[in-house]
Amino acid sequence: MITINNLNFGYNKKKLLFKDLSMQLSAGHIYGLLGKNGAGKSTLLKNLAGLVYAQSGKMDVLGFDPAKRQPALLSQICFIPEEFYLPAVKIDAYVKANAAFYPNFDHTYFANLLAEFDIPAGQKLIDMSYGQKKKLIIAFGLATQAKFVIMDEPTNGLDIPSKAQFRKIMASALTEDRCIIISTHQVRDLDNLIDTVIMLDENSVALKASVEEITNKLCFKRVKEIDDTIIYAEPSLSGYNAVVPNFHDEDSKLDLELLFNAVLTQKNKLKPIFN
Amino acid sequence: MNNTFNIQRFGLLLKRQWLEFGKIFLITVGVALGVIITFYTFSLWDVFFAERPSFSQRDLGFREPLFIIFGFLFITVISSSYFAHLGQKPKAIIDLMIPASTFEKFLTGVFFTTILSVASFTLVFYLADLAFVSKVRSSFATVSNVTSYTDARGQVTETVDNAMYFFTKNFPEKFKSLFIMVPFFVTSVFLLGSLYFNRFHYIKTAISVIIFSGVWSFILYNTGRLLFEGKIMIEHDRQNFKPTDAGAELAIFAFFAVLTLIFWTIGYIRLKEKQV
Repeated sequence: MITINNLNFGYNKKKLLFKDLSMQLSAGHIYGLLGKNGAGKSTLLKNLAGLVYAQSGKMDVLGFDPAKRQPALLSQICFIPEEFYLPAVKIDAYVKANAAFYPNFDHTYFANLLAEFDIPAGQKLIDMSYGQKKKLIIAFGLATQAKFVIMDEPTNGLDIPSKAQFRKIMASALTEDRCIIISTHQVRDLDNLIDTVIMLDENSVALKASVEEITNKLCFKRVKEIDDTIIYAEPSLSGYNAVVPNFHDEDSKLDLELLFNAVLTQKNKLKPIFN
Repeated sequence: MNNTFNIQRFGLLLKRQWLEFGKIFLITVGVALGVIITFYTFSLWDVFFAERPSFSQRDLGFREPLFIIFGFLFITVISSSYFAHLGQKPKAIIDLMIPASTFEKFLTGVFFTTILSVASFTLVFYLADLAFVSKVRSSFATVSNVTSYTDARGQVTETVDNAMYFFTKNFPEKFKSLFIMVPFFVTSVFLLGSLYFNRFHYIKTAISVIIFSGVWSFILYNTGRLLFEGKIMIEHDRQNFKPTDAGAELAIFAFFAVLTLIFWTIGYIRLKEKQV
């Protein structure tokens, strides 16, 4: 569905953010895009949406080159940016002006999402809080029925109940022909939502693996003492939270935060496991 | 799906842009109307409210500079603000992701900044002029509005209507193509400025135009002097100068048309290459 081949990109020609980055994304998945500040999460999403242009490399999004910004592709992309601007109009007027661009826009679904997010339909956008506006553009984006959903820090600004609603809505929004990629640095917000983890570090993809693959190969557990088998551990109240190779096919729940820190600090130990 | 131009999508885009740009546009038109009315009221105050009202052609002499200077300001302000929001990340993302082609987005910009802004300023000026000049004509209905003189043979010759409506007096019949092309050219420059700069679009465009014109004039003057000084004769024959020469008008029209097309093309490419 989406193919990136040898992508080279940098805001400065001398300092590249991505060097020969390659990756494939398939329909029917929710990808979680993780990385340190400045690792290039938002930039990768902008590359996928055609909002920035790569120095070299090839990108194929739903059979189109995103850099050409063709309406046929744009109508199949739902991009929820971290920072956004909405005009000072009522929700109805906003929908009337924008929904017509999306041939599959589902007005009933949009109304249901607004109700679920607890946003009054007749409200003026200027009177809404940042969190409410965010929920509105998420609802609008999902109602477009776009095949490729890109979300940059979608849970920023959402209150605790809204985060739970967001996870529920996103889980139900995944269909077989839809690909969703969510970037965040608040990894706990993506718990139980994503099925594949993509981690960016040092100009390239440090890890791309499904949750199932990760939990098959690694075990996340609490240990009392550190030994040589442990890949990465963090002190906790009753010992250590540790990542260890899953030699005995143990069942464990993926701890995204622990995995994230393990990937960043123990790259050499993890590489052979996932290659 | 045609990915370059689709009339239905273009219509949708015009409606969508009106939702965002329309409010600012209408406010600007309102301000323009206010300024024009203020100028007319201030200039014709004595004509209407003096103890012994009198009227002469000079009382309406402010109209030409007002139309040219304020009209220039109006269309350039509108043009330089149209794509200005693309310099701000939150606004640019939403706009660039709208499923319409770059060509349609640019064409919408041309429609709002060139056609709509020029037409609305002309209309606003026409209406204000119509109202005030009609008032003048009705106030002095009993007095002749026409300047006339009697020659040596005692023949009375009427020269001009003193209270002509602005567009009757200045209707650019002879130079109509030029009068259309100049606003197009001016708006194309400022529209490009709104795409090229990320902040302070108007001032930066104005400074760029001044610098470019200065450098260009300097080069032209000195090149001409270097090439032709002492080699060709320049006649100062005003009597044979024909300002209505169709060839000259066509040449000037073509010159501005080509420049406008060049600026629009650069603007379109700039919009296409716009990154967030």
